[in-house]
Amino acid sequence: MPLKVRIGNNEVRVLRSSDLYFVQKLLKAMRNPKTKFNSREFTTKGEEYLFNYVSKNVGGVDEGRRNFLKGIVIGVAAATVVGIIPGLRVLVPPVEQASGFPKSLLLDSSGNPLKASLIPVNSPIITLYEYPLTGEPNFLLNLGDKDGNPISISPIDVVVPQTGKTYKFPGGVGPHNSIVSYSAICQHLGCTPPYIHFYPPGNVSPSQLTAPEPDTLTAQALLAAKQANVPALIHCDCHGSTYDPYKGAAVLTGPTQRPLPTILLEYDSSTDYLYATGALGVATYPEGSDGIPSQDPTKDLDTSQYGSSVGDKTQVQANTNPFS
Amino acid sequence: MSLGKRVSNWFAERLGLDDLPFFKTPDYMFHANEWLGALVAASFIYTVISGLILLLYYNAAAGYQSTEAIINQVPYGSVVLYSHLYGSYAMIILAYVHMFRNYFVGAYKKPRELLWILGVLMLVLTLGASFLGYSLIGDALAVSAVDVGAGIVTSIPQLSFLIPIIFGNYDTGDYTRVLALHIILVALIGLLFVFHFFLAEHYGMMPSRKVKPKAPAVYTKEEWSKFNPWWPRNFVYMSSLVFMTWGFILAIPNALAYLNGLPQYFNPFMNPKPAPPPNSPAAAHITTYPPWFFLFLYKIADFTSDVVVFLMIGVIIPLIYLLIVPFLDRTDELHPLRRKVFSGIGILMITYLIQTSLWGDLAPGVQVSVKDQVIAYLVPAIIVALGLTFLNPMEQKVRPSSAISPMTSILFVVISLLFSGAVVQLIDYPSPLTFSIAMFLGSLFFLGARSMGSLVLNKNVSRSVPNRPVSEVNTSVMISNEKKKRLAEVIMSILFVLVVVIVAQMWTIPPTGYASNLFGVDLGLVFLMLGESISLYHYVVYKKPTEKEE
Ligand code: FES
Repeated sequence: MPLKVRIGNNEVRVLRSSDLYFVQKLLKAMRNPKTKFNSREFTTKGEEYLFNYVSKNVGGVDEGRRNFLKGIVIGVAAATVVGIIPGLRVLVPPVEQASGFPKSLLLDSSGNPLKASLIPVNSPIITLYEYPLTGEPNFLLNLGDKDGNPISISPIDVVVPQTGKTYKFPGGVGPHNSIVSYSAICQHLGCTPPYIHFYPPGNVSPSQLTAPEPDTLTAQALLAAKQANVPALIHCDCHGSTYDPYKGAAVLTGPTQRPLPTILLEYDSSTDYLYATGALGVATYPEGSDGIPSQDPTKDLDTSQYGSSVGDKTQVQANTNPFS
Repeated sequence: MSLGKRVSNWFAERLGLDDLPFFKTPDYMFHANEWLGALVAASFIYTVISGLILLLYYNAAAGYQSTEAIINQVPYGSVVLYSHLYGSYAMIILAYVHMFRNYFVGAYKKPRELLWILGVLMLVLTLGASFLGYSLIGDALAVSAVDVGAGIVTSIPQLSFLIPIIFGNYDTGDYTRVLALHIILVALIGLLFVFHFFLAEHYGMMPSRKVKPKAPAVYTKEEWSKFNPWWPRNFVYMSSLVFMTWGFILAIPNALAYLNGLPQYFNPFMNPKPAPPPNSPAAAHITTYPPWFFLFLYKIADFTSDVVVFLMIGVIIPLIYLLIVPFLDRTDELHPLRRKVFSGIGILMITYLIQTSLWGDLAPGVQVSVKDQVIAYLVPAIIVALGLTFLNPMEQKVRPSSAISPMTSILFVVISLLFSGAVVQLIDYPSPLTFSIAMFLGSLFFLGARSMGSLVLNKNVSRSVPNRPVSEVNTSVMISNEKKKRLAEVIMSILFVLVVVIVAQMWTIPPTGYASNLFGVDLGLVFLMLGESISLYHYVVYKKPTEKEE
């Protein structure tokens, strides 16, 4: 009930019930020995002391309002926390899993699409690109005969000596059907370039028997090349495995028991671009429980430890010449 | 006693909150420009936290690729990365504002000399850490920045031993060492911050000139023990500032991420995204520029081909000046117009810094003749000198600057920008969400415009001198305060509803991809509203009727 006073014609509200409550509270606090109002200090310090005293002991704002506001602030803070929760997913690392083989355009080292007709024939320089996952190198070879003329590589059945099974190698692509691509990870124990690399016709000769690593050819490899009548080889210096680049990287000499997996290439004759589209043969990492390789190359893609998918582009690097 | 009270008392007792040795704050200091240091600290803490999250993913051996992976693959990775960048931007800007504000009020004077020197060193470390952090992206800009930095160092033969120390074998593109140094410098900032903070607490915040007009400007123990204790009022006020700072740090870059095709000269300031990698063909087509906080150095490099001169003008002389200014300006005067030489130097430093940075942005790498240099730098000097000669300190006059603090005007500019951005967003994607965001920012904008307008248009707003015992409590003040408090309550309720709406929306934002930056915008808005509601709470609950209005 507000207390009203009449001044002239105007009614002025002097005290509201809440004011009375406030006064009552204040008086109670002033009488309380613990929070006694110090009148001497009041006379020396004046209003300021009073305000401090009131706000400290009675509270400038009545309790109900204060609690309501506190509730709102706590509500907003709680909502903020709820809002942050989905953001905590930032702590969960993304699972890098390639679900299938991407179709990746091959780029040259400056980032432009690689022109298939410009790939040198029988180049001794190790030419590699990553596919289908980062960290998985593959050879890109433009095969030719002894005189450096491109040869058309025909489809052929490739045997996996370890299992006796065969698969169909689709042959070369490009303007002369001479471009092929194989995994550059040795199927014996996994050596990578420069230990495993391509030997062009000029380097498949007895002089290579005494060449320093990683250019040594074993006598066995030379003999196998002669018997199979191939001018060039892929040879691994780690333990001497030899592969036939003209016939789907089939095994020429051990100790490997598996051919190098083939990377499927697609050639667009209108643009002269090359695309990697998949793999064929055995899985790149033959780590089946029984040591028998999977015929299904997509097996490797479920594991993320070898990198993430290269996406729709991958760069071809030709940096190292092992023979120089 | 209610349960909440019991719980808070339990903590207050255990943590000794009531007798923390922290400085108590007088009523008139509840203003953003007395708390600039807290703002710097808030952005520092934000940047450290976001940086540690990035550290979980960053791979120094593949700087660019892992940056791209953070942006494209890590859930909300781009939100964290962009706000990390802008957190450091905020820290740099606020550190400059903090420094120059204290410069002009003479806060470097006795007994705060050491505090000041530590602060200057922290600024240097901040700029260094930011440069290294900028390099970590590994894009074309970072590489060119590293090249320029390395070039400057190598061109002084005596200094070239520093190259491997700073960059390691940097041309291999391996940023391991840069990353390590980035973290080391930040750790040093943290260490100095502890000293800086405790010294600041020891001397207390600098009292108003009206209370302590002469140099050892400190409150005596007796004086300050009467002020507002750290808990709860200071704490409440501080947390509102911290959350607002975080809100801006999150909202701005993530909103900017949606801007595309800005003119080149906006890029150094407004583009949070990395440039193309250095070996890509696209890199050949971009204009390289240093991070904006080094644009001034970039321009000074156009003035002279002599690296030693360049380093002297751009780095060494200003730095040494700032370090020793407490010992040059030894009078006990605090008023900027009673220290005209030093105020003039301060104004010129700010002018030159901004002027040269903008120049470097607009005309990068364009050689400047000596004549042009003289004109460009003499004119501001003359204006400042003339201005200061004829300005004299006026006693008890209302200065317009005391009405609108620099912080308020910066905030207002930012809000206007955000508001216009929100309107554009609303027109592009009309939806309840964009509508509510635009409405929210719009109301902030209009509130701001009203208060700024009344100050600009109505010159005779009377203001009481802060912290003077007030002789009478005017009932009309009481009533208008009461009205404002009612309004504040209403705004808080609206904020609460808005926050809930936005939070609900946040749960639907995909963690990666184009839309994911909306999460950052929303989280920023939520932080802003949290800060705002705490600040309103502070206003309603703690503001005394006689306290000066902000
Ligand atoms: S790893 Fe290649 S031969 Fe053993």
